[in-house]
Amino acid sequence: MTLLAAVLNGLMVGGLYGLFGLGLALAFGIMRVVNIAHGEFIVLGAFLGATVLAVTPLPLPVVVLVVAISAFAMGWLMQATMLNRLVGPNPIPAMIATMGLSIIIRNALVAVYGNNIRAIDIGPVQNLGIEVAGVALGVLPLAIFALSVAMFLAVGLLLRHSTTGRAFRAAADDFEILETLGFNRRRVYALAMGLAVTLAAVAGLLLAVRSSFTPFSGIERLLIAFQVVIIGGLGSLRGSFLAGLFLGVVHVVGLSLNPNVGPLFGHLAFILILILRQADLPAILTRRGR
Amino acid sequence: MTLLTVEGLDVFHGDLQATFGVDLQVAAGEAVAIIGANGAGKSTLLRAIIGLTPARHGTIRLEGEDITRLSCDMIARRGIALVPEGRRLFPSLTVEENLRLGSARARPGPWNLEAAYDLFPAMTDFRHRPAGMLSGGQQQMVAIARALMMNPRLLLCDEVSLGLAPAIIGDIYACFRRIRDSSVSLVLVEQDILRARAASDRVYCLLKGRVTLQGASGEVALDAIRAAYFGEAAA
Repeated sequence: MTLLAAVLNGLMVGGLYGLFGLGLALAFGIMRVVNIAHGEFIVLGAFLGATVLAVTPLPLPVVVLVVAISAFAMGWLMQATMLNRLVGPNPIPAMIATMGLSIIIRNALVAVYGNNIRAIDIGPVQNLGIEVAGVALGVLPLAIFALSVAMFLAVGLLLRHSTTGRAFRAAADDFEILETLGFNRRRVYALAMGLAVTLAAVAGLLLAVRSSFTPFSGIERLLIAFQVVIIGGLGSLRGSFLAGLFLGVVHVVGLSLNPNVGPLFGHLAFILILILRQADLPAILTRRGR
Repeated sequence: MTLLTVEGLDVFHGDLQATFGVDLQVAAGEAVAIIGANGAGKSTLLRAIIGLTPARHGTIRLEGEDITRLSCDMIARRGIALVPEGRRLFPSLTVEENLRLGSARARPGPWNLEAAYDLFPAMTDFRHRPAGMLSGGQQQMVAIARALMMNPRLLLCDEVSLGLAPAIIGDIYACFRRIRDSSVSLVLVEQDILRARAASDRVYCLLKGRVTLQGASGEVALDAIRAAYFGEAAA
């Protein structure tokens, strides 16, 4: 793999990383829920998609839609039946509950699908390529990248121009006042969690089309989601997107340099950013200039 | 015709009792002032009426319907709106987005964006600014307008003059006449006795969670209010 191809692949993966982070950030920003099961929903999206692809003749875009709708229902149900009972000033109970849920989902996946490493085979589309300016690009990665950009834009439009989106942002600011305006807080929360889990599951399915996964992949994906949120910031769509792209490129380029290091380079880059953020750059630069 | 009837209301913050058997009536079209010092239980009373802090004992009725156990959003949709203490706009939303949220679950009625900008023409200049970037007086206009967008029957206003310059307080209070003309009843919680008396039909005085005085605004003597306010024996 040439460096350029690695960078392009990294951007494709990175768009999905951005979506992982966006879902986590929405849940935390709006309801202060740290969803530990976020990684498991990412993996669940992959298994669900793989199963639907295997047992039905539906094409991938329709499967994505099926997964999106099921994921929304799951997120909605999780919030409505469980997390809405736990919302409050203390974020720990919801964290523990979602941690428990993550264990349940992981083990259920093992029980149903076994421990094997899996990949999704979607047939000849997988290897379809086009050549742009002398560089061979896969059609599938391009389509996936376009879809993740479209999902970011759609979330942006929703948050800015719909009543539901404004209610999400207002709930993050001051849920009590939102209630005095006639909004049912629990319903707003359930919708927000539905959206957050949808983003996770769809991105998880799309990532699985390009890479392998097991029932235990959730923790790794959750880690990436956290890194995206920490680098990109909580309140910023663009921040999540760019942070995702950055981590994606570092991961894939790192793997192309040395296939045995796994996510090492991504974690190193993350720590480097944390250090740089702490460092007093102007002071360092002036000292050097002297 | 009585719009709001509060009977024997006990409200607690945890183990701490904030109001003791409070009775209160607001007639349709009436403006009622609730005055009292810090910690008298005024804000708590408003929070109980709109359902943010549920009452432990007592009943709250809106046009005869018992709303004591309803959730806040259901009470709001039945026609009670709150202008909260400290304004509490959504700081990350623009002024107009704040107003639009007010109208999203509103009852039908005369108040809409146009009417709100007509009530406070100054708001037009900063309609697209984030609400967190406004001055106190500007925020207060938006907070009142946001609550009005619900087209409430009863508007609860918690210390709208707090921290504002006197000239701006005058502007804010001037709007209450037009709000009443749109057949919205008012409950004004205030620390400023004179202003509250001037803007209302009747006053209630709260002291340490109890009603210590009530009467028509034009008739209760300042001395009596002062005594009820500070808890001195009436001279």
